[in-house]
Amino acid sequence: MHAAQQATFNRDIAPILFQYCAPCHRPGEAGPFPLLTYREAKARARQIAAVTSKRFMPPWLPEPQELRFADELRLSDEQIALIQKWVEQGTVEGAPADLPPAPQFVPGWQLGRPDGIIEAEKPYTLPASGSDMYWNFIFRTPVDRTRWLKAIEIRPGDKRVVHHANILVDRNQSARRLEAEPRAGFPGMELKIESENFDPDSHFLFWKPGTVPKPEPEGMSLRLDKDTDLVLNIHLQPSGKPEKIQPNLGLYFTDKPATHFPLLLQLENDKQLDIPPDEKRFLVTDEFTLPVDVDLLAIYPHAHYLGKDLQALATLPDGSAKTLIHIPQWNLNWQAVYRYADPVPLPKGTTISMRYIYDNSSENLANPNDPPRRVVAGNRSSDEMAHLWLQVLPRVSSNADFDPRMLLQETMARHNLEKNPTDFEAHYNLAAMLQARGAQAEAIQNFELAVRLRPQDATANNALGASLLAAGRIGEALPYLNAALRAQPDNFDAHYNLASALASQDKFLEAIAQYRAAIRLHPDDANAEANLGSALAETGKLSEAKLHFQRALRIDPHHKLARENLEQINRDPKSLQQ
Amino acid sequence: MRRRSLTLRQLLSFLLSIVAAAPLLRALPSSPAAQKTALHLDGAPADPFSTASGKPVVLVFVRTDCPISNRYAPLIQGISSQYGSKVALWLVYPSRTTSSEKIRQHERHYGYRLPALRDPQHALVTQAQVQVTPEAAVFDANHHLLYHGRIDDLYQDFGHARSAATTHELDDAIRAALSGKTPPPNRPGVGCYIADLE
Repeated sequence: MHAAQQATFNRDIAPILFQYCAPCHRPGEAGPFPLLTYREAKARARQIAAVTSKRFMPPWLPEPQELRFADELRLSDEQIALIQKWVEQGTVEGAPADLPPAPQFVPGWQLGRPDGIIEAEKPYTLPASGSDMYWNFIFRTPVDRTRWLKAIEIRPGDKRVVHHANILVDRNQSARRLEAEPRAGFPGMELKIESENFDPDSHFLFWKPGTVPKPEPEGMSLRLDKDTDLVLNIHLQPSGKPEKIQPNLGLYFTDKPATHFPLLLQLENDKQLDIPPDEKRFLVTDEFTLPVDVDLLAIYPHAHYLGKDLQALATLPDGSAKTLIHIPQWNLNWQAVYRYADPVPLPKGTTISMRYIYDNSSENLANPNDPPRRVVAGNRSSDEMAHLWLQVLPRVSSNADFDPRMLLQETMARHNLEKNPTDFEAHYNLAAMLQARGAQAEAIQNFELAVRLRPQDATANNALGASLLAAGRIGEALPYLNAALRAQPDNFDAHYNLASALASQDKFLEAIAQYRAAIRLHPDDANAEANLGSALAETGKLSEAKLHFQRALRIDPHHKLARENLEQINRDPKSLQQ
Repeated sequence: MRRRSLTLRQLLSFLLSIVAAAPLLRALPSSPAAQKTALHLDGAPADPFSTASGKPVVLVFVRTDCPISNRYAPLIQGISSQYGSKVALWLVYPSRTTSSEKIRQHERHYGYRLPALRDPQHALVTQAQVQVTPEAAVFDANHHLLYHGRIDDLYQDFGHARSAATTHELDDAIRAALSGKTPPPNRPGVGCYIADLE
């Protein structure tokens, strides 16, 4: 439009509001007021002009760059100027014929009726006032066998108080231990989910205001096993009155198992985080060189309240550099996962670098400390973090006889150990990777280093015991398995492994006690039932043994050991009784 | 709309008859348009100064649909409880269209236990020189405006909130009004523009 022309709502402003604002600013959504009509816009006109000119709204943190993101929510300078002009000229409505059709939104679940809906078992009541709150809900998933998910829609509860939400897949029910009262959830901004197998979480399951859930790309469905928990971590901001929050998850299944396996890579350097008070530009960096070709699908920078300027770069083997993301004014409240409009190919040898600047002065309004004080890395919101997550899809060459994800994980663990030789998790993860590819001696070595770093850690003690057991070093395994149980008496795996170790030493009575303890924890584990049956048979208790083989077969009708042993008892009970 | 302005004129003349009994008849035809007034939730004209009986008057301007003023509800209620009988503290809703019923409901939801006024003609907005919700105005016992502006410095701008406020202008201004000390300088608030309500 010409500079001299009158700006009108119907012709100039409505198209901007409908596209950029209305997805959140409509009834039931996160925006605190609707912006669907002239009257609604006029009643907020100065506010709209102010927040758009400061680029606080619509919320979009990254600078424009060559690599485009999907669903960019950034107004052009011209659009911002037009809104200013409309307000200065007196918020004129304009000709009705100029008004574009009102935007259409899908009511309710955005992807249609979910195949399964799970609601948080107990609501959380957010206090009326106070600082931001981080709460975790544990959802027990309603599947009785392995299923594949093509999408999860997060309905976080009252969207006006929920700033963002994030799902973590907990395959070991490890988060349940953090609940003070069973099923009530637990507080905390950051949480770690244990994974004992090579089963990295590979999907960003993220909700922010205005998010329309998208099904995972073809072939990238998410595996959901029986007894898997989904942990929803949500960031809440008090509204002035108590708010009851009870989120729902909508699960959408597919028959197609995953054929493409992306991976979440994490660059980080929490160890560098030791920010003196009043330091305005504290730099934290990390660099990682890719051992395989990947496609970069999405990126998620993460810092807490002192983060100021967050940047990630890729330097390709040919020397060219690409900005992966640059956020010049970090704002934790609007953190988000950013998906690229098109996958970004990054060849083997590309160096990804993270460059975060922190402001620990009182000029940083978000500074949780007044006056500023020294801040180091940690999980509380007043601590800091320097994390950069990348979702990558490794390119698989047809003749490769290895899983490129394992090489990526192993390289990442070694990289982390270079940064920090006393990194417990890196030792643990490297050991798990080595164990998986059969490098047993080096695996045991790294599990030993992990246990040395955390002698009380049940998971690490159990893993070391299990790897010694697998190497046939039964006598050496026993003390670690016992240590795991001292640290965590309800550790199923440690009971099971200890039972197996005792059974291989022909200590069947002790083994039986351990198998029983394991079964008390997981009554539907076919292996534990079958092994208990075998141990009982070894001690001559055939009828009781039969009972447990039968139980194993009820749980898993194809259980080979249980079937064979049961057949043998039925065929020739005497031979077993000697 | 027409009926409301009619009621207002009648009530206004009633008020005048009390405040200034003598020129009652002469004031009737000309004054209603010129003289703006705030309203109690039952629709009766309200003058927070005439009923203050020598106490400082504190007006806190809020809106039912302003997320920033809503977030201040517990703090505003806390100040009201703290100073209780020492000041005349009112919530003021400057919206022209928000009904008394909606305001009562809003007070219930947000746990407000202090009296509220409607200010559809912006009589108090003008007097208090406020621009956004939430802002507060503190008048001394002689009805002089001591302070107007933000409640504290929790927000520096839209989307830029501290984890806790470091200055407490409203509290300081009330203490100044009670003790006769110097009030804090006026500082603009961050929130929803009252002018947008016109």
